[in-house]
Amino acid sequence: MSVGTLVSTRRRPSWREARIALLFVLPCLVLFVLFRFGPTLAGGVLAFTDYTIGADTSFVGLENLRRLSEDPLFWRALRTTLTIAVLAVPLSIGISLGMALLVRRAFRGHRLFRSIFFLPVITSLVLAGIVFSWIFSSGGPWSSIMGWLGLPDQAWLSDTTLVIPAIVIVAVWGRFGFGMLILLARLQDVPRELEEAALADGANAWQRFRYIVLPELYPALFFLVVIETTFTFQIFDTVYVMTSGGPANSSYVLVFQLYDQAFRYFDFGYASAIGLALFVMTFIVAMIQRMTIGRER
Amino acid sequence: MTRIADTTTSAPAENSNGARPRRNTRPYRALEPGRPARIGRGVLLFLAAIVTLFPFYAMVVLALKPVGPIILPDSLVPWGLSLEAFERVMGARTLLRWTFNTLIYSVVSVVGVLFFSSLAGYAFAKKRFPGKEVMFWSFIAMLMVPYHITIVPVFILISNAGGVNTHWGMILPTLANAQAVFLMRQFIKSLPDELFEAATVDGCSEWRMYVSIVVPLIKPILATLGVFVFLWHWNDFLWPLIVGQSNDMRTLTTGLASMNAENVPLNVVLAGSVVAFVPIFMAYLVGQRYFKEGVTMSGIKG
Repeated sequence: MSVGTLVSTRRRPSWREARIALLFVLPCLVLFVLFRFGPTLAGGVLAFTDYTIGADTSFVGLENLRRLSEDPLFWRALRTTLTIAVLAVPLSIGISLGMALLVRRAFRGHRLFRSIFFLPVITSLVLAGIVFSWIFSSGGPWSSIMGWLGLPDQAWLSDTTLVIPAIVIVAVWGRFGFGMLILLARLQDVPRELEEAALADGANAWQRFRYIVLPELYPALFFLVVIETTFTFQIFDTVYVMTSGGPANSSYVLVFQLYDQAFRYFDFGYASAIGLALFVMTFIVAMIQRMTIGRER
Repeated sequence: MTRIADTTTSAPAENSNGARPRRNTRPYRALEPGRPARIGRGVLLFLAAIVTLFPFYAMVVLALKPVGPIILPDSLVPWGLSLEAFERVMGARTLLRWTFNTLIYSVVSVVGVLFFSSLAGYAFAKKRFPGKEVMFWSFIAMLMVPYHITIVPVFILISNAGGVNTHWGMILPTLANAQAVFLMRQFIKSLPDELFEAATVDGCSEWRMYVSIVVPLIKPILATLGVFVFLWHWNDFLWPLIVGQSNDMRTLTTGLASMNAENVPLNVVLAGSVVAFVPIFMAYLVGQRYFKEGVTMSGIKG
């Protein structure tokens, strides 16, 4: 092949290449316009309308947001969601960290333990919800354990206070394996020489963890805080299956309210306003992460 | 990254049955826990494993018990088993239909997502065209928008198009997967340009080039991403709940949730749960690496 054709094939593509590339991107672009860009915009616009099924739609301005601010159920759902996040995120990450440290070094069966701890992560939350509603039922294993320990043995899912820790337990059970894997990957990067040197200098296990291992894990821990917080903000499946928001709305979370408003009352405008609130919350968490990470560096 | 983690640490364990490879372990042996610490670790891990596995054990054992009231501790001992619950749940026939719907939803989505995202990812990684950067970053911006916010407008769109209670209505919106496009583009970008240039020089048509050069090169990411997308769809709940409302159009997750809400005995619901769980579990046993990579890479629960 001559140099001439080589050069020409390299130069020619500009518009031919662009046409083909656009053709390759086109299916995705159409899908994104229809199902991501469009709906994201529409979601924002809908929040300012009274859109519902089988009725005329009109702009209502800030009416939905005003309703939201005066809706005790919304504030309650917001509080419940935040409570779950505040309890579940540190607990889940703490257990992830503990488990990652325990299975960090090679020993007989360490891979089996890793696989076991990861199993809940790939399990449907609906199945988890079904099994855990039995575990937490009256006369179920959990209340039996509580009874043995001399604690009140009521059914946690039917108690307006205890329902929250029950949901947190399921969330943590389903999630800690994920954090464990992320942290394990980071733990491999901790330089062994540093730890050995610290050991030689007489640092105890806690000091080695605190001053050598932990700083290495900060970025991963930040990442986990954001991802787990976003995840708990969107909790739905387990609540739907285990409590349907009850008893007496005590486990009513934001996504559940969104679902209720949209698909039980067909109040799409109001549901979109709740969606907007969720979006703002997620956005704030992401921004806080950006700022903290930025400062770290 | 998890694969690296696994291979580096598992090497000594592999041949630890007989003689311990002292040569390898010696340099950092001082960091290895002493005997009491090892025992403590073993006990903790054992307890944690029991707590983690108990729900699975309960699901399987209760599913294998004769249908009836559940009394502790008798109901948890693994004898007096029967297939009654499985017969009842399979006999209803709806479970087969739900399994079929779940399979369609998962398999078609995997094929669609992989195909469309690899086409776009390839163009974004190796081609020059106007608006490329803007387009790519607006795709990525969609990662920031939670799925629950678009769900109402997407439902209105699908319902106006007559897609409620259809397979296509359920599948189509999930094909716009920003994560898949992003991961594809990153992976293809990391491949050397020479691989693609050689083919261009050979006068290979773009389509043939995609089929015979790009696809074989991206097999690793196709596998990882494929497993992840499959798992995500298999376990998906909210969207199938909204769009597949008739009993005939339920998936395993929404179907089992509806069974659980009705007055179906727990043994029977759990037998159905076992049916929904076993395929994922089998796949996990075979291709753990892909599950771990897929889930950690995308950072989202399946």
